[in-house]
Amino acid sequence: MGKKRSDPKLVLPLAMDFCSPQSEDFTRISRFFDELRKGRFMTTKCKKCGTLSWPPRVVCPECQSDKLGWVSLPKKGKLWAFTELCMGAPGGMEQDLPFSIGIIELDKIGLRLLSRIDTPFKDLEFNKSMELVVVDMPGDKVFFRFKAKRSR
Amino acid sequence: MRKVAVVAGGLCPWGVRKASWRELVQEAGKAVLDDAPDLGKGEIDSLFVGAASPDRFAFQLHVAPLVADMVGIHPTKMVARTELACASGQAAVRYAWLAIAAGLSDVALCLGVEKMNLPDMAEAQTTMTAVLDREWDAIHGASAPPFFAMCAQHHMKHYGTTRHQLSLVSEKNHGFSSTNPYAHFQRPIMAANVEDSPMVAPPLRLYDCSGITDGAAAVILASEERAKELTDTPVWVKGSGQCVSGNNSANWRSLDVWDSMKQAAKTAYGSAGISVSDIDIAEVHDCFTISEIIAYEELGFCKKGQGGKFIEDGQSRIGGKVAVNTRGGLLGCGHPLGATGIAQVVEIYEQMQSKVPRKRQVPDPKVGITHNLSGAANVHSILVFGRDR
Repeated sequence: MGKKRSDPKLVLPLAMDFCSPQSEDFTRISRFFDELRKGRFMTTKCKKCGTLSWPPRVVCPECQSDKLGWVSLPKKGKLWAFTELCMGAPGGMEQDLPFSIGIIELDKIGLRLLSRIDTPFKDLEFNKSMELVVVDMPGDKVFFRFKAKRSR
Repeated sequence: MRKVAVVAGGLCPWGVRKASWRELVQEAGKAVLDDAPDLGKGEIDSLFVGAASPDRFAFQLHVAPLVADMVGIHPTKMVARTELACASGQAAVRYAWLAIAAGLSDVALCLGVEKMNLPDMAEAQTTMTAVLDREWDAIHGASAPPFFAMCAQHHMKHYGTTRHQLSLVSEKNHGFSSTNPYAHFQRPIMAANVEDSPMVAPPLRLYDCSGITDGAAAVILASEERAKELTDTPVWVKGSGQCVSGNNSANWRSLDVWDSMKQAAKTAYGSAGISVSDIDIAEVHDCFTISEIIAYEELGFCKKGQGGKFIEDGQSRIGGKVAVNTRGGLLGCGHPLGATGIAQVVEIYEQMQSKVPRKRQVPDPKVGITHNLSGAANVHSILVFGRDR
């Protein structure tokens, strides 16, 4: 008998990490992640034409200026649309099923962005007040989600 | 611009296939060449391969030359893979049309393929989430079902669209796919079955969603001169339209008003010289039941907000205002991303030649369209076909 071969199950090249490298060696917007780690939610704004971009950029999509500055974003908003993923999660997220997903309209500036929501679907309703939470991601990375604001 | 016609079409059986990516390619290649007995393979001077993610589904780049190997052709004019997520197949047809219309090519093969069922289903789900802005949106676990679920949520809220109306779309398309031996899902279902199926992302249930399917499809396009030598019944490409509205969620202006679809339709109808009332048959991108309902509205088949009533009144069935998704749609046939847009063209081609099973034959169709959306309905692509030049 020859040596037993290793597990013959086909292992495809794994999905690249959902979370791209966040350090300054790999991205010019590393400040977003550095600030997020400290609980600050920021994006870039064009110093020339004033356009606020989401997500952060290195060139303004309106006027192509590369003089961008960092500004704070509201960490609170209202729930504009929502659902719950019950099956068919991407790799690495199956264990979290079911989880809520929604679109938050940030207070004051009206920017809408998609987010995972750390509140059960049954507790969600239109226009519910939401707040940002910072979550640790694998590989010493961080990202944000939203959750329903605790009612007083 | 030169006139361009579809002169052949074919596909392989779709489903959870016990076959590899390159075997699906070979099957569809044979099907389309068998449909063009008077065409010498040497005459095919260009090849466009619609494939959304062979990079991950088959771990293969540079796929167009591999497809040339599999089909045994040697294009001398233009060759490329086209990637536009769920509209990759239509992108291939649009480029072939453009190449022939511009005089760069005389005969082009368009072959769409996707092999999605792999030993680990999380691989397919992961690949499909990357259609969204992966770093900022998909990272939240978002993919097509949650996006279209929120579209349905808003459409129900703003226009009173009902659960039952969504179900009727699935019932209709599964009814059609039960007449289609190439379809993934060959059993008819009733609206009640949709409502009893497992929840995927509320309000959408399993039968509101198109399947994860292996499949391939192919068409051959030719210049007017070559088309007339090859067939007595060419189906003409009369025009096309496309419109883009970004990708990231910050640019999702509305979930239930798809302006870019309306714009693409306007461009397509204008370039073809038709009005919406001329359309006899439409293959629209029913990746989810709600998308077909919104498509009725943005394509101009009914007024905004009346899409639910349109299906309820039977207006998208044969005998209604426009026969929609007679091959069974994505809901009934499944949705191998790169193959779908080409299979839709095969259906229009075969309908116009009265070659489909009688149960789904539209009487005497003269003008037809195919529509694909891609991503979070950020891009809409439309082709117009006509039996008359």
